Amino acid sequence: MDKFHPSLRECAIAATAFKLLLFPAYKSTDFEVHRNWLAITHSLPVKEWYYEKTSEWTLDYPPFFAVFEWILGQVARFFDPAMLDVRNLGYDSVQTVYFQRSSVMFTELLLLYALQKHLPLCPLKFDPESSKRPAHAVALSIFLSPGFLIVDHIHFQYNGFLYGVLILSITLARSPSTRLYSGFLFALGVGIVGIIAAAFGPFLYWGQIPQLLSRLFPFSRGLCHAYWAPNIWAIYSFIDRVLIIVAPRLDLPINQEALTSVTRGLVGDTTFAVLPEITPRTTFLLTLFFQILSLIKLWTNPTYETFLGAITLCGYASFLFGWHVHEKAILLVVIPFSLLALKDRRYLGAFRPLAVAGHVSLFPLLFTAPEFLIKTVYTISWLVVFLTAFDALVSPVAVNTRRFLLDRFTMVFIIVAIPLIAYTSLAHKVLFGDRYEFLPLMFNSSYSAVGVVGSWVGFCWLFFSA
Amino acid sequence: MSSPQHGAYKPRTKKPKATRSVSFSLPALPFPLASFLHPLRSASSQWLVLPVLLMVSILFRWAVGLGPYSGMAAPPMHGDFEAQRHWMEVTTNLPAKEWYWHDLEWWGLDYPPLTAYHSWLLGVIGGVINPDWFVLFASRGLDDVALKTFMRATVLASEFLIYVPAVVIFVRAFGRQADLSKYDKGVALAAILMQPALMIIDHGHFQYNSVMLGLTLLAVDCFITEHIYWGSFFFVLSISFKQMALYYAPIIFAYLLGLCVHPNTNIPRLVLLGATVIVSFGLVFAPLVVFGGKEQIAQCLFRVFPFARGLWEDKVANFWCAANILIKFRERFDSGMLQKASLIATFVAILPPCSILFFNPQKRLLPLGLAACAWGFFMFSFQVHEKSVLLPLVPTTLVLAGNLDKNTVSWVSWMNNVAMFSMWPLLRRDGLQLQYTVLTLLYAWLMGTFEHLPKHWFGKLVHVGSYVSILVTHFAEAFLLKGLLQEYPDLWVVANVEISFGCFTVAWIWVLWRLWKESRKGRKKPKRE
Repeated sequence: MDKFHPSLRECAIAATAFKLLLFPAYKSTDFEVHRNWLAITHSLPVKEWYYEKTSEWTLDYPPFFAVFEWILGQVARFFDPAMLDVRNLGYDSVQTVYFQRSSVMFTELLLLYALQKHLPLCPLKFDPESSKRPAHAVALSIFLSPGFLIVDHIHFQYNGFLYGVLILSITLARSPSTRLYSGFLFALGVGIVGIIAAAFGPFLYWGQIPQLLSRLFPFSRGLCHAYWAPNIWAIYSFIDRVLIIVAPRLDLPINQEALTSVTRGLVGDTTFAVLPEITPRTTFLLTLFFQILSLIKLWTNPTYETFLGAITLCGYASFLFGWHVHEKAILLVVIPFSLLALKDRRYLGAFRPLAVAGHVSLFPLLFTAPEFLIKTVYTISWLVVFLTAFDALVSPVAVNTRRFLLDRFTMVFIIVAIPLIAYTSLAHKVLFGDRYEFLPLMFNSSYSAVGVVGSWVGFCWLFFSA
Repeated sequence: MSSPQHGAYKPRTKKPKATRSVSFSLPALPFPLASFLHPLRSASSQWLVLPVLLMVSILFRWAVGLGPYSGMAAPPMHGDFEAQRHWMEVTTNLPAKEWYWHDLEWWGLDYPPLTAYHSWLLGVIGGVINPDWFVLFASRGLDDVALKTFMRATVLASEFLIYVPAVVIFVRAFGRQADLSKYDKGVALAAILMQPALMIIDHGHFQYNSVMLGLTLLAVDCFITEHIYWGSFFFVLSISFKQMALYYAPIIFAYLLGLCVHPNTNIPRLVLLGATVIVSFGLVFAPLVVFGGKEQIAQCLFRVFPFARGLWEDKVANFWCAANILIKFRERFDSGMLQKASLIATFVAILPPCSILFFNPQKRLLPLGLAACAWGFFMFSFQVHEKSVLLPLVPTTLVLAGNLDKNTVSWVSWMNNVAMFSMWPLLRRDGLQLQYTVLTLLYAWLMGTFEHLPKHWFGKLVHVGSYVSILVTHFAEAFLLKGLLQEYPDLWVVANVEISFGCFTVAWIWVLWRLWKESRKGRKKPKRE
């Protein structure tokens, strides 16, 4: 591994230095959320974890994550015991910030380990020797991903750890002897976002399952999250908004109730004025349908590559059709897709719009002025460096008619990002001040949705035609 | 394998172009910074080097800027941040004739006119964004987050308009005459742009040193590309931005004078140069005189040269302050006497580099010459600040653009590390401990400090000795001997001054010796240009 420059270790050191400098940066309410969870898991008996509600930020992640917080709490008390008090709402002493920020960096080492240990063996090509270079580039791109920088190290979350588990399980699944561990690890990994029986055992015993599930699956919340994640529903909402203007001319019926409560599409329930309402059941069935579609392919052709593809497609399906999807969930697609992006030029073609759209869609998470330069410049440098590197490393495809159109689409798409960012971050403020705040968000997510859906269509085509 | 001498001034008469950029099999230079640029060697990706380096520079500068600044939330006087903001307030609200007179007790303007114009421009721009930031009197001591962001942005913009282009041009021009490969030039550019001391003072502590340094560097760029009149013009601008640039004035004077005498006397050139300097100063002072009247010049000069102040203010690692534990200068001698002593000592200190440059006015000696001259001033002149170490440090780092062998890299990075350490008391006061630690360690690691020591045993001894004593001082200050502090509150500062002074003396001698050696090298062989 070390024969490639720069090595993963070198990148990790430089990135760590940069992340340390970001300690004083903006942190979202997620910081307080996690501090509260630290306090809950540290100071209360397990039975009360999912009932405690002193803070509005109740524990709503699965049990393994709660255990993870409990472990962190064991260290946290040496830094500042005051952060472990449930009543200490909004507490953020210097020690608390330093501890929580460094806990993100420390747990992210698992991701580093997973990449360092396993990715060089990832068979992107038949010849293992020639696949090492691309695999190395992929490893660097994942570790340095702007997604982690924005979501984990500024906004504040523990995705680095989570995706470390995911990648570890994916790579362990490759060799027959370690497949068992892989399943276990994957369950752990999914457990943090999804379901795992073992973790819920004690809560089942105590009869707390309904309470737990109501916390984990917030169907009472709206279809779209506060900042519309760039999925099908973002495009759907966008079309609805456009139809409000167009509908009178086409004589379409308009739901007046929705018009008055055009909550500016931001918080809570999204109601549609022209298009039919979307129910949780619809989103669930759609997600399930597309996931099963990719699993059928995996069944008929159980190779490692199909496995990676199926994971990516399951991520796509949940992200695109899920209920109340967070924009951060795009990493569920980007990270597994990265592992396949260098398979050949066609895959890279589908990856490019996703890389741009996925990361641009994270921008609204950081809306404060000082972080503007960090998020944009970091993302642009990452895109420039890795898309160029990938381009140089990918193996050419002999005959490919789709390439021309797709490449043009990608090119136009990427260029549009520049005026879009300029508008959403600067021009809108100058033109409208604080009015129409939903506009930049809507443009941003609709734009990103086009990229994500476009890459999804491209990837599906590659996956099912392979 | 690469020889340790790659990129040195070795005569390459047979091969006009260095081969490193062509060969793909060669390993990276043996320090991590070079490793990062390694994938960008190939011709197809070389265009990436500059944009990526610039973006990384922006990121680190801005990230440092997220931290506190000098005088943040520190009433009653605040600090340099307030000084700079106050000058924007003064210049945008008052007529030019009051600029150098307005309430001098509260951060009165004491920089030359170009700083005043710069402040005025920034104040006008800032006033459009938020007029509250620069309301006369009412805005004093403002600690607004948005204001901080704006001010940080002005530093970044000023640096990227002046200093950064100057560095890029310098590395290209200087690297070309030293026969560096494109890859080596990229590494040198990165090493100069990532210099921690300038970064933390401008973007952490808060100042606009990069403008002054950038203007001097532009002057050097002009000298290297044989535009000596433009060079003199830019150097005058540099002095007119911050009088500190006078540290460089003798050496630039010696160089230009040398050009008028070697290889044969050229009186018209001398006259033209003199005229350029006078006209440039005239241009700089013209707006002030036109809008404020003639008497502004005298007041400006009076404000700019504070001979009324003492030999030093805060403790600084120069000769006077370091020797003060043995001889209490300020108690034993009166201020006029000390002024004379420091004048003479400085003159003696800068005489050797100035004579070398006068007798060998060669472009490739410029960075070392500037560094040697500035070290002389730093060591012996009057009213030196700890931040003034940037003046010798920046040209010392520029040496990398001509030579990237392990020995040079290890010396230059050592000087950067020690310079960071010497500013620790200041940075700690500003609350920049985190930024100090991260930037120092990062740069030390990037430059391979932990892996390479100089070739000579004496160098090894000095480097290891200084690193150990720096670590011990930091460790002791952080964890041990808290009781001692009550008795000697200045203990750590004095330790810092003594260690830094010892190191700076070695650094100064190294620069002088290097300058001497380089100047001899040119003698033996016919000139390449």
